[in-house]
Amino acid sequence: MIEVKGLSHEFRIGKKGKEKVVPVLHQVNLHVKQGEIAAIVGKSGSGKSTLLNLISGYIKPLAGTVTINDIDVTSFNEGKWADFRLNHLGFIFQSFQLISSMTAFENVELPLILKGMNEKERQKQTQEMLEIVGLSEYGGHYPGELSGGQQQRVSIARALIVNPPIILADEPTGSLDSDNEKELLAFIQKLNKDRGITFLIITHDQEVAQIAHRTIEITDGYVMEGEKIYEVQG
Amino acid sequence: MKFRDRYRFVRANMKKNKTRVIMTVLAATIGCAFLIVLASIGFGIHKTAIKDITNGRLMTEIEVHGEKPFTLEEIQKLDDLKNTKTVTRKQIIENNLTYHLNKYESHAETMVADLPAEKKAGFELSKGRMPIHKNEIVVGYDFAKGLIKPVPDEDTKNLSEQEMQNKMKDSQYKGNLLGKTVQLEIQQLEGKRMVKKNFPLTIVGIGKKPSKQWMMNESVFISEGQLKDIERFTKTPRGIMNSPENKNLKMDYNVYNDVKVYTHTADEVEGVSKKIEKWGYSTYSPQNELKQINVIFLIIKIGLITVGTVAVLIASIGIFNTMTMAVTERAQDIGIMKAIGAHPGVIKKIFLMESSFIGVMGALIGTAIAYLFSFGVNLILPVLIEQFFHEKPPENFYFSYIPVTLPLICIAICFGVTLISGLRPAVRATQVDVLKALRRDI
Repeated sequence: MIEVKGLSHEFRIGKKGKEKVVPVLHQVNLHVKQGEIAAIVGKSGSGKSTLLNLISGYIKPLAGTVTINDIDVTSFNEGKWADFRLNHLGFIFQSFQLISSMTAFENVELPLILKGMNEKERQKQTQEMLEIVGLSEYGGHYPGELSGGQQQRVSIARALIVNPPIILADEPTGSLDSDNEKELLAFIQKLNKDRGITFLIITHDQEVAQIAHRTIEITDGYVMEGEKIYEVQG
Repeated sequence: MKFRDRYRFVRANMKKNKTRVIMTVLAATIGCAFLIVLASIGFGIHKTAIKDITNGRLMTEIEVHGEKPFTLEEIQKLDDLKNTKTVTRKQIIENNLTYHLNKYESHAETMVADLPAEKKAGFELSKGRMPIHKNEIVVGYDFAKGLIKPVPDEDTKNLSEQEMQNKMKDSQYKGNLLGKTVQLEIQQLEGKRMVKKNFPLTIVGIGKKPSKQWMMNESVFISEGQLKDIERFTKTPRGIMNSPENKNLKMDYNVYNDVKVYTHTADEVEGVSKKIEKWGYSTYSPQNELKQINVIFLIIKIGLITVGTVAVLIASIGIFNTMTMAVTERAQDIGIMKAIGAHPGVIKKIFLMESSFIGVMGALIGTAIAYLFSFGVNLILPVLIEQFFHEKPPENFYFSYIPVTLPLICIAICFGVTLISGLRPAVRATQVDVLKALRRDI
């Protein structure tokens, strides 16, 4: 499902001409199977977020290839990436990344608007999605009027609305308390089981890593694939 | 993303900073109103000039002038020209003539005209019919106003100007003219003796009222046969008097003045004029004069629109600023949208739509203001001129005139300028770095 081969990246820090080159990832190889929950764990600065950003297309790798659903996305331009993200990927962020001037309903509806779906159909789907995440009563609320857990559920609803086969999550529980964290993890497991959605989760939280079928550890930009904790469902 | 959704986005975005948007729209409004008002002055004065040239004249008319009066053969030659509808000519009676009707008198200009040709050229009667017999005449609409009962000098001695005018009005002929017989008194000098003869003429038709209130038509059309009788009496062509000042006049019979050629359409005027000029005549037509005036005013109008566009350009700087700030403020929203799959083209279109929306809104409000200004200035300016300069502005004077094309030009300029000024911020919006934008609130 997600195939990463020989992925390398580095950052250039400092003023132009006096830049310092900081290598982040070294020849990373990775394979995430369909229907798998894969957790990438590692210390701060180990390169796990950079790996996710490279897979998401937010940054371009210096070397290596990324293949998603047998499509080589490495050479995609911005436009192609936009279409690909909209149709194949869902995103969950640590700080939810909801548009503050839009209601929960509008935030969830946004990907369908970008897809050009007609108003009646997308409103129906949005309402259904809010019901799935247990926020049907909160559609008219702005993100600032919702708790952290509720905001993350809005964020998940937005990721799920286009029915993506893969969800990429960057520290999804990072801003949640323990109750909300448990609730979210259970929900991820449910989605994985019921809908067969593949999850690639970046985390340093052991609780999150425990729900993963497989953990991949990154240390100083090198991937150390860990032992298989759970068998892949189905 | 559908157009309707983009429009909703733009509206929602504009509501986020109402004051800034209102101020930018205001700048665009002022720029646009200035452009229209400035150009409208050019259009207004142009319209006044055109009205002045075309007032009561046919645009298909060509006045033809030669070194000598025209002969019938020459007139026939003009009539045979391609695209000529008709040729009118006149023989004006050059005599100190007087019309008498009871105690009323008039010195109306009298002429012989080819009435069928005049009819073809647009001459119409308000009453009666065209003459058939030699002693029948057609008079101008205002002939009765010129028929005045002479007032003795002592009666008008101590009268004010107003009283004098009233007296003159009272002495005008008020009755019906149709069917009335007037006496045409023709004079001639025989040696030192003045000889007079009366010719009885019956009024059978009255010409149409002139198109303008200030125009007067008191002239009289007599028949060619009647002219012959007059010439027999005076023994000179067209009743010319044997006075010393007429000594050098050429005494040619059957020659014509005031020759006018009429074409079927205004477009044919230029071609026909050129042909006539080739024969050595000089021509004048309102159409030619109009053409020259139009060229001059076109240059003036282009100049005014260019100056006005500067105001719109200044307003566009405001739009550029507003849009640049909007992009900076919404960088995070743009980043989120890009992160979940918004195409850069969609983001660009949203911002371009917003900037052009501001421009078009400004243009529409500016147009409305310009119309109000134009209406107001045309209403107030003549009053001010009368009040402060004690002068009456010319009839149908337009200081400002806004044709439909002007707001359309202005809206197009405004739309184009705002689109260009919004382009750079829109492109910047598409270049927002997703990661930088997402990290903003961490």
